[in-house]
Amino acid sequence: MSITAEHAASLAATSSRPAVTAVQAYGNKLGLWNMWVAFAALALGLPMGLFQAAERSGFFPGIENTAVYFASTSTHGVLLAFVLTTFFAMGWGYHTMAHSVNKKPFFGWTSFWVSLVGTVMAAIPLLTGYASVLYTFYPPEFAHPSFYLGATLLVVGSWFWVADMIIAFVQWKKENPGKPVPLVMFMFTMTALLWGWTSLGVASEAVFQLLPVVFGIAPTIDVGLARTLFSWTLHAIVYFWLMPAYIAMYVILPKEAGGKLFSDEFARIAFVLLFIFSVPIGFHHLYVDPQQAAGWKLLHMFGTFMVAVPTFLTGFTVLASMEIAGRLRGGKGLFGWIGALDWNNPFVLGGGLALLMLTVGGWGGVLNAAYTWDVMVHNTQWITGHFHLIFGGTTVIMYLVAAYWLWPKITGNALFSRALAVWQLWLYFIGMVVLTAPWHVLGLIGQPRRVSTTDQYAAFPEYAQMWGIYEAIMIVGAVMLVVSGFMFVYNLFMTHFNKVPAADTKVEYAVAIHEPMRLPNVLNSLAFWNWAMLAYMILSYGYPIVQFFFMEGHHTIPWGV
Amino acid sequence: MTPEEEKKILATSPIGTWVILAIYSVLFTLGWLGMYALFLSHGPVH
Repeated sequence: MSITAEHAASLAATSSRPAVTAVQAYGNKLGLWNMWVAFAALALGLPMGLFQAAERSGFFPGIENTAVYFASTSTHGVLLAFVLTTFFAMGWGYHTMAHSVNKKPFFGWTSFWVSLVGTVMAAIPLLTGYASVLYTFYPPEFAHPSFYLGATLLVVGSWFWVADMIIAFVQWKKENPGKPVPLVMFMFTMTALLWGWTSLGVASEAVFQLLPVVFGIAPTIDVGLARTLFSWTLHAIVYFWLMPAYIAMYVILPKEAGGKLFSDEFARIAFVLLFIFSVPIGFHHLYVDPQQAAGWKLLHMFGTFMVAVPTFLTGFTVLASMEIAGRLRGGKGLFGWIGALDWNNPFVLGGGLALLMLTVGGWGGVLNAAYTWDVMVHNTQWITGHFHLIFGGTTVIMYLVAAYWLWPKITGNALFSRALAVWQLWLYFIGMVVLTAPWHVLGLIGQPRRVSTTDQYAAFPEYAQMWGIYEAIMIVGAVMLVVSGFMFVYNLFMTHFNKVPAADTKVEYAVAIHEPMRLPNVLNSLAFWNWAMLAYMILSYGYPIVQFFFMEGHHTIPWGV
Repeated sequence: MTPEEEKKILATSPIGTWVILAIYSVLFTLGWLGMYALFLSHGPVH
């Protein structure tokens, strides 16, 4: 039940609620549908994670089943890493487009339905065990054609969203020459542009490498080329997931905390740096692959380290904004502002917990960027612990608090229970720490990732004995996360049908201490960064891809058939 | 809070944030070096 223009006008007549325009009502409805799909994926995917933790532990022989384990792992990954993220970004992006620049998308419902059909097409082979490829696109593993077609449609659907965001951005700039594009719109369009660039890699792999083989048109595949193309997508996709979380930190958290954004310009600089440094660095996923030379891996390694710069900038700007809010609320001294913040506000709490997880996860990311460290922990549970902390932790917790902020504004109904939201966020945070800390340790003491049951390691009792306690702790963390996930969905569902109207449905973003009147063009447009990305991509991926055309491959199919 | 006090807060450098980030940077570096010292000598995890 989203607010229609008529409903909103009638509410405005009887209360102090602001009316929404027809464009905003459209954005609300589109945003709501997209985000419900996203959170349905969360609700379905979380219990699968618990099953995997339990199955792998070896404590429950009755549920051990390798085929089900890998089908579950693949589905869990697709639901949470692809469906939750893509639909959430599209939903909130469309909502932002309507509320920040008052633009109606051209392809809104096309994007939604194409992506949804793709998701269903991919889900069928996943759930029936025909796509247990661990939600990656790494050949020589192959899934049922329906999985690749569905995944491709999900990506194609999201391209309609990318086009909509860019069109709205350009239109607004033309109508408002010289004015700064609203920060939230600038950030979302940068996110969309990043996704457009990064998804080209996996799309090329699917169309020119995987699909010809699974349809029987080509006899074999060039594994080196396919893996190189997938690496193009594999790291930057993480920033496509993370950037909406950062957007929430920059444009909502300061206001919810009772203050202002420390710097609009810092936020823009962080986003353009994230954009430019996150795509051409995928070779750190190929450090132990033989098809690329060490020099290219070194170049990508330096680029990977550079991503730490906008991450630190984000940490500083968001924390400084929280400090300002705390001081405006009466906090004194060096750290008195921390206690002065309203930690019973779900947004403030979620933002603080997300930053805490980012400190540890970011540290692990910088460790992983180095070739020496990466080689040591390659294919161990350290990696899964790391990406669950950054993605499941920092990223998803910000999606949850963004939903708590968005639902009352979209539906017009008050948040069902603020206390439940606060408890849910604490449980989520503790659950994520309890899950991922032992996971990192398991990696360091030798447990490989992507194993269905530790019983398979009975031949190596000295290892398996060390794993038991950590496996048990992980199960506790997974239970906490599942309970927390259901508390979230319940609260959202009850909000959706809450009879109590929301006190404030006006969509307002945080303003900066010094709102910019004018900005340098590089912080207010896409063109320069688009060209810069093209140049950087040619530099870092040009030769590594072109080389395959000159190699004597075994039945290589470089580009199509 | 008076408008003057608010202006003063908005104009002040976020010293608490600087201190937190300084502490974090030190811990970050020490942790990084510590992990290398502890584990790299063991070679790849098997």
